[in-house]
Amino acid sequence: MKKRTRLAAVTLLAAMLLVMTGSMALAQDNVTVTVWSWRTEDEDAYNAIFDVYEAANPGVTVEFVPFVNTDYNNILATGLTGDGGPDVVQLRAYGGLQPLIEAGQLMALDGKVSNLSNFTDAILKGAQGRKDGQTYGVPFGVQALGAFYNVGIFDELGLSVPTTWEEFISVLDAEAAAGYIPLANPAKDSWMLPILHDAVAAPRYGGPEFQAAVLAGETDFNDPNYVASIQVIKDLQPYLPPDVVGVAYNDSRTLFISGLSPIFIGGSFEIGFWHSEAPDMEVGMFMVPPPPDSVTDSLVPSWMDGSYGVNARTDSPDAALALVDWMGSPEFGQLFSDKVNQISPVAGVTPTDPLLAKFAEGMVEHPASYLLLVDFRYGDPSGSTVMGNEIQRLFLGEVTAEEVAGSLQTGISQWFVPAGAG
Amino acid sequence: MAESTLQNEPNGRPLIRRRNTMMPSRLTIALFLLPALLLYTIFMVYPLVQALIFSTFEFNGLNRGDFVGLQNFQQLFTRYPISEQLPRAFVHNIYFFIGTMLIQNTLGLLFAVLLHRPRFGKRFFRTVFTLPYLISPIVVGYLWSLMLNPLFGPVNSTLRNLGLGALAKPWLGDPATALPVVILVNAWMWMGFPMLLFGAGLAGIEDDLREAAKIDGASNRQIFRWIELPLLTPVIGIVSVLTFIGNFNAFGIVWALAGTDGSPAGATDVLGLVFFRTAFRGEADAFGLASALAVLMFLFIFSISVVVQTWFRRLERRMQ
Repeated sequence: MKKRTRLAAVTLLAAMLLVMTGSMALAQDNVTVTVWSWRTEDEDAYNAIFDVYEAANPGVTVEFVPFVNTDYNNILATGLTGDGGPDVVQLRAYGGLQPLIEAGQLMALDGKVSNLSNFTDAILKGAQGRKDGQTYGVPFGVQALGAFYNVGIFDELGLSVPTTWEEFISVLDAEAAAGYIPLANPAKDSWMLPILHDAVAAPRYGGPEFQAAVLAGETDFNDPNYVASIQVIKDLQPYLPPDVVGVAYNDSRTLFISGLSPIFIGGSFEIGFWHSEAPDMEVGMFMVPPPPDSVTDSLVPSWMDGSYGVNARTDSPDAALALVDWMGSPEFGQLFSDKVNQISPVAGVTPTDPLLAKFAEGMVEHPASYLLLVDFRYGDPSGSTVMGNEIQRLFLGEVTAEEVAGSLQTGISQWFVPAGAG
Repeated sequence: MAESTLQNEPNGRPLIRRRNTMMPSRLTIALFLLPALLLYTIFMVYPLVQALIFSTFEFNGLNRGDFVGLQNFQQLFTRYPISEQLPRAFVHNIYFFIGTMLIQNTLGLLFAVLLHRPRFGKRFFRTVFTLPYLISPIVVGYLWSLMLNPLFGPVNSTLRNLGLGALAKPWLGDPATALPVVILVNAWMWMGFPMLLFGAGLAGIEDDLREAAKIDGASNRQIFRWIELPLLTPVIGIVSVLTFIGNFNAFGIVWALAGTDGSPAGATDVLGLVFFRTAFRGEADAFGLASALAVLMFLFIFSISVVVQTWFRRLERRMQ
């Protein structure tokens, strides 16, 4: 009786072991890598991209799970704390991923992902920890700033793309005379204001030169050139929609695609919207010519848009690392550029979309950083937040350009210590 | 006492029903109270205590760091820009409260009085006036921001078509009109609520009192001023306290009308928005600071509510 029990127990154990090893072998062959993202609008594009990866890697299933953009940070912060979270995560850039790094929720990728060598240092900076300098993500996209114009209206008015500030102003005057709102840009959504400022006036304050000086502590935002660059925006106010502080971002995009306004100054991330909402409208792009007394020539300010990193608590680290490594390859870069319609930062990838190609080309030939995003979002308040709110007040006539610059300096001084000051 | 002095109406039905002499045991009472107490503890007391604890710690994302005492509270008043935004938002909340009391609750009372006397369409209008607060504040906010859009909105185009183009303003884009517009939209949404409460209060006043006053030669206005209004004091007290709590916690409708920053240039910024920005758009150490703000808001709202309620209760007692 006792013997039989023991025998049964041993058999049962053996059977259990067999099942376990069997399922373990199965698990090794069939891995599901879960990818979290804030791009609900790109779900189809990403699924098509990951189909290519799955075809080349039998047994690997990539599950793309997008969340609402505005809730993503909270969802991610919660998802990374417990079990059952994602394996690969889309990460915000620069200051945006620091809280996750400081909480130890991401895996450092240096030495583990060989395709990091396909990116420049300036791009990788957006995916690195500010304190430890380690890289935590494989960059997926780059955004650049410039002016979109309605080719049809330009042709109708006999206008050509301006190459000097005088030509730019005369284009705006001609548009106004023909009854258009010359510039579609909004001011109710304050985040669009630092974008307008940098796209138009980066040459006035000196772009990369000023960036180096301000980071080194040789100057600050009270610099006369920076103040003058803010005044450039104020001087453009007559060309913006009437009561501009009441005009929202989507109103402005509607002004542009409905042909009420021929120029929209913004980021390359708008291209998908123009294509989907106004497929018949011919849209061109130009760099805003440098304003008078500019320190540098025309610039195309750009920034790294985000990256894909690995959850420090992932169940399948090897599969997750292999996937993010592939996301740093030219193959992924080209697929991303063609299907998601954004600029890939992978060296050697050229966009097929002509409008996107113009941004990519400008970015390489006239490089600059969208300063307030790239270097001044590491603390609270961020540079772009203060700037956005203060330019609203500038447009309302409550403050001067000097005061805007002063508030910006006060704001970032709460946390920013220039290199020169140790 | 009621049991012994049982009174009967002429038709023989007891006027005051006899109470069951069997008192339930303390245990039974406790058992009946337990579920509510449990829910209240889990969803109210526990988060409150947790917020109080959080407010004294440093944070790294969701990870709690070192104990920092009152440092978070100090930062609320010393660190730019929150040190400038907080007093501004507080003042806006006070305007919000005063504006709502004057517009929303006065109109609510007016409509309650007009709809009290039975006449045609009473139920219809009551439904119409209470409908907006069945809609989510976010939806109401977006709806009105579309209506008030300076470029495409029907409000301004109607004004222009009527030849009143001079009155067409960027309603939500001008700091002078933005906060009043938010108050008006909020009042539009919630007006039905005080109306219902006042309506119930008016219905609770015995008609004998009105008839007696009428026999004495009082006009409708005098009846309202000297009979109805004083007897509505308890309702006025409740409405005032609820308005105060609602206005100082205002978030959804302001967010939908004016965005996270309380645009334009912070002209509509309220404490709820400051809290939201600090907690969810701030830096790694945001949760401690946001919890500190939440604790202060709670203490302020709680203590004022208690004071106001006590005052109204004393007023009622004096009138009795």
